[in-house]
Amino acid sequence: MSNKPTHKTSSGELAGFVRLNEGIKGVVLIAFQINIMALNAILLAHRAGEVALGFGVISKELRSLSVELTGLMQELSNDAYLAVNLISDLLRQERRYRLLKKATDLVVNPSPALRDVMVRREEEFSLITHRVRDVRLRLLDRLEDARKLCQFGTAISRSAKIEAAYGREYGRALAEVSQEFDQKIQNILPSIEALCTGMQRR
Amino acid sequence: MKTAQTIYQEGSHRWVVIARDPSKPDCVIDTNEYLISREGDNLLTDPGGSEIFPAVFAALSTIVDPMSIRYLFASHQDPDIISSLGLWLECNPDIRCYVSRLWSSFIPHFGGDENSLVAIPDEGMSMPLGSGQIEYVPAHFLHSSGNFHLYDPDARILFSGDVGAALMPPEEDELFVRDFDKHIRHAEGFHRRWMGSTEAKLDWCERASRMKIDMLCPQHGSIYQGDDVMRFINWFAELPVGLSTFRHRR
Ligand SMILES: [Fe+2]
Ligand SMILES: [Fe+2]
Repeated sequence: MSNKPTHKTSSGELAGFVRLNEGIKGVVLIAFQINIMALNAILLAHRAGEVALGFGVISKELRSLSVELTGLMQELSNDAYLAVNLISDLLRQERRYRLLKKATDLVVNPSPALRDVMVRREEEFSLITHRVRDVRLRLLDRLEDARKLCQFGTAISRSAKIEAAYGREYGRALAEVSQEFDQKIQNILPSIEALCTGMQRR
Repeated sequence: MKTAQTIYQEGSHRWVVIARDPSKPDCVIDTNEYLISREGDNLLTDPGGSEIFPAVFAALSTIVDPMSIRYLFASHQDPDIISSLGLWLECNPDIRCYVSRLWSSFIPHFGGDENSLVAIPDEGMSMPLGSGQIEYVPAHFLHSSGNFHLYDPDARILFSGDVGAALMPPEEDELFVRDFDKHIRHAEGFHRRWMGSTEAKLDWCERASRMKIDMLCPQHGSIYQGDDVMRFINWFAELPVGLSTFRHRR
């Protein structure tokens, strides 16, 4: 891989991480909605008593899932922020590199000291490029964790539907709640997938 | 590509102007940079914007090793004056840049820090260069509120930053003023709009008229020499400037 500074790569990357941050905000909002919904479901299950014991357990699971997902998104957001900083630095360096390179090319006999400056620039650039790559890999790992979490969420929201069937006079209310759970989880998955593909494409 | 031209030489003491860049992008104003060199001490005045750095650097390299520039002087804080600072420091981290104390904490947005920026006090100061001295002469509010000119008493040259600047059409863009009356038409609009204070202007004209100046070197446009120096000072003293001449209201 070449580490020669190229403006195109970095500005594209910067946009990618900014988009990621926007995507994360969307997921955090849904996770928050699931949290509130799960809290209400726990209270409902409590009122329903014996017939909704299973439903109550599942609601608690969904609530901790939403907390975990929010935590993951916070970590992702921190990394995205770090990446934006690194890439902004990279863009600054690229501009400096371009202008210094142009100066070196225009000088008939560039001094060794000037060549050293260019070598240092390239080394520094390569260092930051590697740090960006590390951050991206970490981001992808966390996105994978988030995806697994959502798959688990899908599975338990299906179980909630089944549990709702045993809810007797609360059956209808529980079924409605489990339906909403399912919808919310289904909303998150595509967002996570989009974040993954957005990152992988770079 | 800019060219370097010696405008004064006495032994190892010389002034070189880096000017006229036909290859610069049209959206960037053309600027003059001056190298003052004395016994191996090299100072560059208003080193310019970052986009023209390669051209300045290359033109300088035909005269001295640009890596040997030890001092920069920024008459004020404008981007066409000093946004290349970060690049100069990249080449030589030991460079010291002299600038009004007003701007020493603003310019680090272009590069540099408290070590690389030397704050000039409001009353000005002098500084050794080789075996001689140069003076930072106050020119506040012309146009910047923290503004200095650089005077070399041995060469009798005043570097006057934006004062004396003219925006020349390419066909009349000569290095030295040849026909003052013709030239000054291109300076009028610039001075009316940029120089906001009559008080500051008259104070400067009074001080400048008492100085021994053979050449008045602005950052844009042609250099005034001989009698044209005093002609310029008198013209500037008479020129109405400030808000009363500025018709931004109906
Ligand atoms: Fe200016
Ligand atoms: Fe200027």
